[in-house]
Amino acid sequence: MLNAQTAAPGDVIPVLRESIPFVDASGALLQRVAALGRPRRYAAGERIYNAGDEADDIYVVVSGRVEHVFGPGISAQESLKRMGRGGVFGWAGLVLGQTRRFASATALEPSEILCIGTEDLVRALEVEPLEGGAVMDRFATMIQREFTMPALLAKVRRLSGTPLTEEMSTLSLTLYRMSLWLKSPRPYLMLIGFALFLGLWYLFVEVWKLPRFREMPGITTVVKEWLSPAPTYGLSVFTEEYYQHIAVSIWRVAQAFLLATLLGVPFGLFLGWSRRFKEYVFPVFELLRPIPVLAWVPLAIVMFIATESAVVFLAFLASFFATALNTMLGVESIDESYVRAANCLGASRWQVFRHVIVPGALPFVFTGLQISIGVSWFSLVAAEMVSGQYGLGYVINTSFMMVRYPTIVIGMVTLGVVGYATSAMVRIAGDYMMEWRVRELALAER
Amino acid sequence: MDMHQPGAAALTRGRILIEDVVKTYPTEGAAVMAVDHCSLEIEAGEICMIVGPSGCGKTTLLNAIAGFHAITSGRIVMDGETLCSAEKPKAEPGPDRIVVFQNGALFPWKNNLENVIFGPVMQGKLARKQAIDKGRAMMADAGLAGVERNYPGEVSSGMRRRVEIVRALMNDPKALLLDEPYRALDSLTKSVMHEALLEIYYKNKVTIFFITHDLEEAIFLGHKVAIMTTRPCRPKKVLTVDIAHPRDYSVLTTKRFRELIEETSEAVHEEALKAFQAGEREG
Ligand SMILES: Nc1ncnc2c1ncn2[C@@H]1O[C@H](COP(=O)(O)OP(=O)(O)OP(=O)(O)O)[C@@H](O)[C@H]1O
Ligand SMILES: [Mg+2]
Repeated sequence: MLNAQTAAPGDVIPVLRESIPFVDASGALLQRVAALGRPRRYAAGERIYNAGDEADDIYVVVSGRVEHVFGPGISAQESLKRMGRGGVFGWAGLVLGQTRRFASATALEPSEILCIGTEDLVRALEVEPLEGGAVMDRFATMIQREFTMPALLAKVRRLSGTPLTEEMSTLSLTLYRMSLWLKSPRPYLMLIGFALFLGLWYLFVEVWKLPRFREMPGITTVVKEWLSPAPTYGLSVFTEEYYQHIAVSIWRVAQAFLLATLLGVPFGLFLGWSRRFKEYVFPVFELLRPIPVLAWVPLAIVMFIATESAVVFLAFLASFFATALNTMLGVESIDESYVRAANCLGASRWQVFRHVIVPGALPFVFTGLQISIGVSWFSLVAAEMVSGQYGLGYVINTSFMMVRYPTIVIGMVTLGVVGYATSAMVRIAGDYMMEWRVRELALAER
Repeated sequence: MDMHQPGAAALTRGRILIEDVVKTYPTEGAAVMAVDHCSLEIEAGEICMIVGPSGCGKTTLLNAIAGFHAITSGRIVMDGETLCSAEKPKAEPGPDRIVVFQNGALFPWKNNLENVIFGPVMQGKLARKQAIDKGRAMMADAGLAGVERNYPGEVSSGMRRRVEIVRALMNDPKALLLDEPYRALDSLTKSVMHEALLEIYYKNKVTIFFITHDLEEAIFLGHKVAIMTTRPCRPKKVLTVDIAHPRDYSVLTTKRFRELIEETSEAVHEEALKAFQAGEREG
């Protein structure tokens, strides 16, 4: 190679702009990349590198022509590619898990080439992870389209700092998914769905006055009552009582749900883990599980003198069954080969439990917890309607008896919103604890 | 290199003797005999390939060596130590014989590096810090630099297989037991994986017990190829592959390779046909 000094860094920016990976990179990024470049000259026929060499540099053709030939065993559709100004080759070091050259490259005529250290480039791209990630994506596209590598091999490394990498915190991961969600049509369809629902409510009750809906409070009445500083029936967002009811219900559900989780998860884990334990306990469990919560009400009142504990107990019951059952199914769903692999690797029985059974069952556990929080609200309202002095179930029930129909609807909608929020919290906690799963799903979506 | 003493350095560990092993599965109705008086000698540091039709009992044999289930009679000995026999029908699974599973068994909830260091850390052989250093070095050696923090679900299936093999090698095992590890891969990735496996093997020298359907794969990789009968399984023919190691893909085009394929494909085909007919009769 002739090491004569050639193009100054400023001159190479236009060349980079002509290359696929950098076509729409910002000036700042191009400057950083150009500063890394070491210009070199090659004579006609000179070999630049061979297949199997260490993939340390990436090359950009400034002038001249270069021939790029894949080594044997790389099934690109076309093994030969010639390129001129703006051509980029020697990118093997960017491919996931690859440290060696896939191909050999030869100068066809006297050529001026810009060499950029692979690791230097990666670091330069990581400075601005979002833009850098776009450059990496275009590298991947180029490797597939221009160099006809199969998509399977054309996976590029991930920059640290871009979405879905190790440095990505769970919060930013959630934000990233949120921004994806906002870009998809889903939120807008959802809005249309809501508009349709509310519109029909309005039409049925207030415009068409359909017979079945004669007694139903109209949407305008409900909204007016709900937002009124002086509500006709005593309950609106401006009354303290409203929040008291919400707080009491949430507090009851929280106690029931936490208790059900603390008891149900270990119980389910042992049910799935120990065959003997399951044989003792599971038949009783299966007998009790289908009994509806309402059937427990009298016993609950007899057992717990205080109504408060009776209500919590009822909300706890169904939750506990859902959590325990799903956790048990989770343990049973774990592929036997994970346990065997852990045994092979010398894990003790306890270590298998800790490192295989618990994390392996986690996806099912969280499915169980989602169901659990739902049935916990369900049973709570049932219990509050039967006994209790506060809470949203109590509001609905007493409003019915006192013919305060708009308040019934306020109670119902509030339940829907609060119930949804708690269930979303469970889901977020699940995503937080199962990052591996979130990432897998995120990949599957792309 | 002399092919009767596989491995450049004469290895003294990892010799497996399978003596008259029988395994029947007690099922409702007639018991299923999966392995029938099977005897096989695997030299230390040898790559022994097991070829046989689907459902013949290859995995059953591997599970017996690994210690996943009991044998009915016979004996399996490794380096003079009896793994299982009539007195103690189930071997104890352990890090001296590590299985790479048919469908892969990297823990999806641990990232690649955590998977790799699992063995030494669980056994308390290495502190976490040292294990991480060793794991990183071994991964880099196997062309896995840059994916340490990715979860297995995020890398290609070929890479997952390599991670799994590195996870096994971290324990310095005497033998690797591979159950059709490349079955699900496309032929391109498969060929890359073969060379990667050989490269790893030349560096680490362990005994390899490798189950496959694919005769070319068997002859390309193996010092020895045992062609199994259809169920119940036992060696029908044991072929010594007299092509010197180290090998690369140019072997596939040599005359000797073609001859060996021809010599054996008859036997393999015959068993596959029998298995197929047996299947027709049963189902
Ligand atoms: N736990 C079991 N109980 C009863 N029969 C079994 C059991 N496991 C395997 N078998 C039977 O034993 C035979 C051998 O099974 P094995 O899994 O060892 O076959 P294989 O050679 O590994 O097949 P493949 O190539 O499909 O993986 C099969 O017919 C199978 O149905
Ligand atoms: Mg099998």
